[in-house]
Amino acid sequence: MAALVVFGEALALGLASGPACIAACGPVLVPTLLTGRAGFRANTGYLSAFLAARLLGYLLFAVVAWELGLLASLLPTPRLLMMGAVYVLLAVVLLCYSFAAHRMCAQPCAESKLVQITDNKTRGLAAAAALGLLTGLNLCPPFVVAGIRAAQTGSLAAAMLFFAAFFIGTSIWFIPFLSLGCIVRNQAVLTVARMAMALIALYYLSMGIAMLLGKKAYGY
Amino acid sequence: MATDVRTLPLARPAPRGILWSLFLTLPILIWSLLMMVFRPGASAEPLSRISGVITALFMTALFFMMMRTHNTYRWRRIFFVSLGILFPIGFIHNLYVMRGSMGIPIEEMIAGRTPFCFMPIPLLILPAALTRTLVFPGSIAGGIAAMVGIWLALTLVMGKGWCSYACFFGGIEEGVAAIPARARIRKLDSRWRYLPWAVLLAMVLLSLALFEPAYCMWLCPFKAVSEYVAARSTIGLIQNVIFVLLFAGLVIALPFLTKKRTQCAWFCPFGAFQSIFNKISIFEVKIDKDHCKPCLLCQNACPNLSLSKESVARGETLLSCMKCGACVDVCPRQAIVWHIKGTQIAWKPERARLMFLYSAWALAVMFGGTIIAQGIATILHVFV
Repeated sequence: MAALVVFGEALALGLASGPACIAACGPVLVPTLLTGRAGFRANTGYLSAFLAARLLGYLLFAVVAWELGLLASLLPTPRLLMMGAVYVLLAVVLLCYSFAAHRMCAQPCAESKLVQITDNKTRGLAAAAALGLLTGLNLCPPFVVAGIRAAQTGSLAAAMLFFAAFFIGTSIWFIPFLSLGCIVRNQAVLTVARMAMALIALYYLSMGIAMLLGKKAYGY
Repeated sequence: MATDVRTLPLARPAPRGILWSLFLTLPILIWSLLMMVFRPGASAEPLSRISGVITALFMTALFFMMMRTHNTYRWRRIFFVSLGILFPIGFIHNLYVMRGSMGIPIEEMIAGRTPFCFMPIPLLILPAALTRTLVFPGSIAGGIAAMVGIWLALTLVMGKGWCSYACFFGGIEEGVAAIPARARIRKLDSRWRYLPWAVLLAMVLLSLALFEPAYCMWLCPFKAVSEYVAARSTIGLIQNVIFVLLFAGLVIALPFLTKKRTQCAWFCPFGAFQSIFNKISIFEVKIDKDHCKPCLLCQNACPNLSLSKESVARGETLLSCMKCGACVDVCPRQAIVWHIKGTQIAWKPERARLMFLYSAWALAVMFGGTIIAQGIATILHVFV
């Protein structure tokens, strides 16, 4: 019964936090999905890999949160350093993906109007998994709330169950991202997505470095 | 390959008669006086009155020249550059009077007193739709609603014409681009045309993630000539350095070297957003394929890189066309025409031009004219 209550609470928290979650993951997910292949099936595969890795990130965090007792006990400085490291890694993966998308396109795009990324399927899924894991470790506000609540549960299993349910609640909000599969992939869409990816990577990189150096983003 | 204009038959129409041009200008004269001088609530202060009269006559004179010479771009550019120069003069002066600095302190932002320009409009849509939150430190009644209303009205009529008749930033680079006689850099990679869309996509997504207008916080070059976040930290200082560098590069150096509006063509996310509205505006610029050579003089003349070889072959401009009229004016065969959607291409292009110019200029007087009048009033106030 208690497990059911915990599950229900986490699911509700996940559902309520969905907009914040898609807001946090959107900058990573939208351009990377747009550089992938068009079509519902391809996007489902990518999104599944992304979400599976995100779940892994959540469960890892559940272990850490439970072990630490309370997430609140995590001092601001290490938290800032962790965020900084995650941001820098996220930026590096995004930049690599941006350049990889260019290489993937080089052959098929040369003559054709349509971009056909038919090779390196596994490389795309690996990048999706890496990005999913890193965004899973992103300390967005609902995630911190879930971490604190999970840390208050009685056992590690309960903490993991809490995060799994939270994950399910938030994942429902990701379904609309599949509609990006309907957008025709041509040279313009691919170039825009790659450029956007690089810009977002630069933002994460600069913020990550600032955090690692101990600078607050808006310390007026 | 561009062809020398001298090898093509020149078929420029003769100037209109003065009386007929005056007659066509009369509605704009009345409208300008109504907007600038006799508007209810207009300041009764003599300097404001004088600046209003000067602006009304200025706008009317430019419209008269458009009518008389059949040339749109040259006279519009005078208005647009004046707008670009006078906006910062009036705005910065106002900031110094109000708070003694161009830097907006965080306390003002928290109080919701940040001046709102049109740039963040596309950044506000997703957060507002998903969370019913306005991610801008301003107030709806204190400027946001008015600016959005003006933008919507102008956009529905002009589409991306906003960028040629209303934007109070673009005039600076258009003025800089007009200075050199020839472009130093001529070969421009067409892929950069996609960058505004990428900036738009990245900034919309980041604004949603960060719950702040990311473009205004990090990338707007025009913060250098308007208000910016007061630099009270290293990050704040970095933001301001970015603003100044982008302004120096995209608004001063590159327009001077390329004779193009590089910030608009290669960077501005609002311009990319505005391009979408070209789909719903009834006015457009078309190329009559029967008359087109193609010499590609239009492509060279376009300040926004909105024409390509392929688009000319298709008989149309790219989606990013700002309707400035440069290509129409430069075409020696008059193959490029103003066009109303739903009509045949060759159907009375001058009538289409007049219909567009009346609506665009009326709105330009109402919006840009007010800003010009404020700038003139500031100069008069300081020097007289």
